[in-house]
Amino acid sequence: MFTCGIDVGSVSAEAVILDKNNDKKKICAYIIAPTGGDSKEAALSVFNSALKKAGLQQQQIESVVATGYGRQNIPFANKNITEITCHARGVVDFFPQTRTVIDIGGQDSKVIKLDAGGNPLDFLMNDKCAAGTGRFLEVMSKALDINLENFSEIFKKTKDKVDISSTCTVFAESEIVSLIGHGADKNKIIKGLVYSITNRIISMVERIGLEEPVCMTGGVAKNMAVVEALSEKLEVKIYVPSEPQITGALGAAILAG
Amino acid sequence: MSRAYLNMGISEKIKDDLKNKIQRNLDRAYITRVLKILGTRPILSAYGSTFASESDKILNIASIKSLKNAYSGRYPVAYGSLFLPYEMIHALGLAPFLPEVMAGFTGGLGITDKTLKEAASKWYTPDLCTFHRSAAGAVELEIFPKPNFLLCANLACDAAQKTFYIDAVKYNIKDNYYLLEVPFTKDKTGIEYLANQIQNICEDIAKKTGKKLDMDKFSKTISLSNQFRHWAIKLNSIRKKLYNYPENFNGLNFILPFHGLAGTEDAVKVYRSMYFEFKKLLEVQDAAPKNKSKKRLLWLHLKPYYKNRIFNVLEENNYILGFEEINYVYWPELDTARPFESLAVKMLSHPLNGSIDNRICAIQNMVKDYNIDGAILFSHWGCRHSNGGARIIKDSLNKSGVPLLILDGDCLNKNNSSEGQMLTRLQGFIEIINSSYK
Ligand code: SF4
Repeated sequence: MFTCGIDVGSVSAEAVILDKNNDKKKICAYIIAPTGGDSKEAALSVFNSALKKAGLQQQQIESVVATGYGRQNIPFANKNITEITCHARGVVDFFPQTRTVIDIGGQDSKVIKLDAGGNPLDFLMNDKCAAGTGRFLEVMSKALDINLENFSEIFKKTKDKVDISSTCTVFAESEIVSLIGHGADKNKIIKGLVYSITNRIISMVERIGLEEPVCMTGGVAKNMAVVEALSEKLEVKIYVPSEPQITGALGAAILAG
Repeated sequence: MSRAYLNMGISEKIKDDLKNKIQRNLDRAYITRVLKILGTRPILSAYGSTFASESDKILNIASIKSLKNAYSGRYPVAYGSLFLPYEMIHALGLAPFLPEVMAGFTGGLGITDKTLKEAASKWYTPDLCTFHRSAAGAVELEIFPKPNFLLCANLACDAAQKTFYIDAVKYNIKDNYYLLEVPFTKDKTGIEYLANQIQNICEDIAKKTGKKLDMDKFSKTISLSNQFRHWAIKLNSIRKKLYNYPENFNGLNFILPFHGLAGTEDAVKVYRSMYFEFKKLLEVQDAAPKNKSKKRLLWLHLKPYYKNRIFNVLEENNYILGFEEINYVYWPELDTARPFESLAVKMLSHPLNGSIDNRICAIQNMVKDYNIDGAILFSHWGCRHSNGGARIIKDSLNKSGVPLLILDGDCLNKNNSSEGQMLTRLQGFIEIINSSYK
């Protein structure tokens, strides 16, 4: 039996097709693509691409579960489930013991607390602003004119940081512009920025109550600078799935069965 | 068409008519004219079919009557803050007007953008709760009736004591501004201290209105308040067992009768008729007890008063509000022979007065009594007294195995909360509760 999970976020959309046979399950295909301006279109596009990659026809998919902010807008989905439940389920598939999930996506971040059985117990989502999300890093990378992919390396090799006092994306951007204007070292600014986003997440983790093991998902989990800074500040090891962007869609596909 | 149950005491059809007209003619004289014809017999019979029930009709008429009186110019108008004992205002023969509650009405009327803009232009800070800001804007725009007296208390909410004073200055009636200073503890000294203040204020207002303090009227008002309390308790006891409310019923719409009409015949009639209607529903439910599968939530604090999907989502997921904090009867039966003391006791019994433990204790009682599966605290922007205790409430409920969702939003300003985010949190919370039942 095949199922599909589709996660339509504000920045990227993902589809995962799962082959569920008896108790075993195998990911047949997954797709990650930008959402663009039309979430419905993005959902259909990742679904079709995943079908193609898996060599399947739509009729062969028993059930589709949609998640993410665009979940209610996907006509071919049989059901929609929030990203809170889907992420939790997806993470448990990668790391069954997980008790805390930190998910930082393009425009929102959340922390989910799980019980010993992997069920979500509680969660926190960030406010309606871009602080503490992938968008924050993107804007700063543009302001600094340094590719985001280089952040990890710069973070590692740079010893000192320049403190960034604004958590607000707009204010932080102008703070950086003025720091550059005053001749501050860009690498130190990057180090400061990474800690700034981390502090925002840490306060959410502390509010919900940190429990190990901790797993991080979402596009920002690919940025090792943030993972390392979080790990250092929280003083825990942070597990990152091999593909941290598909946990929501994977959870949706699992729950579709 | 489904008939909207109580909506700030005004049925949907009446509200829609009002809304269109008032949005076009945003001034006090026009509202007075609209109110003059509303609630009259021919209009009521024309609108009669929109009432969801007899109690709905009684409440609509009572609410319109209360508003009409405040706008009529026939009675001295007393602005009152939410947690005031309105019995004193009724006993003094004043027409009460509740700016914070009527600010909720500005949300329903769709004029909050204008009232908030006006408040902003008059330097009301955006971190102040929108009930106060919208009310302040409505006063500045002279949409609300002109007050003769302004009565407020520092019980729980501390903003009215400031905004009412600004209103008093605007209308040049600083001497008619009264603040009840409510002590934290309900002991003998506290009761005496507050009772004296209530008595002094009543005597002063009576003198200013050229009347003698009519103690018989006070006793009668207290007696009506007791009757209202009696029916409210009986109604609540039915709700402990009820899973099937009338269509569109929302317990969060009863602030006006619960506070502003306390001490009137109207409040007694509303709660008595609701009790009998709900009793019938319980009998129907008991005859076919199949629909007890719904989950019951306790709602803490208020709700958004603009159009939103929160309650549709709850309904679609088979959830009901088992109870709402605002409908909790927290005070003992009042002594008709000692009205001032009684009203002091009523105020001091409020769970929001004093330590946060009082509120937690009341919430824990509600959780037990109303068979609650989970609770939602609507964290309204700028409400310090409610939001300040959120964490401790959450810890206490979690200890009792009751999950709590703190839902951030704004009761009046839809631009200050994203519906998508709110609904995701709500749905996520529902999924958590449902999964714990598997
Ligand atoms: S919501 Fe809070 S701050 Fe606003 S009026 Fe009510 S009690 Fe006061």
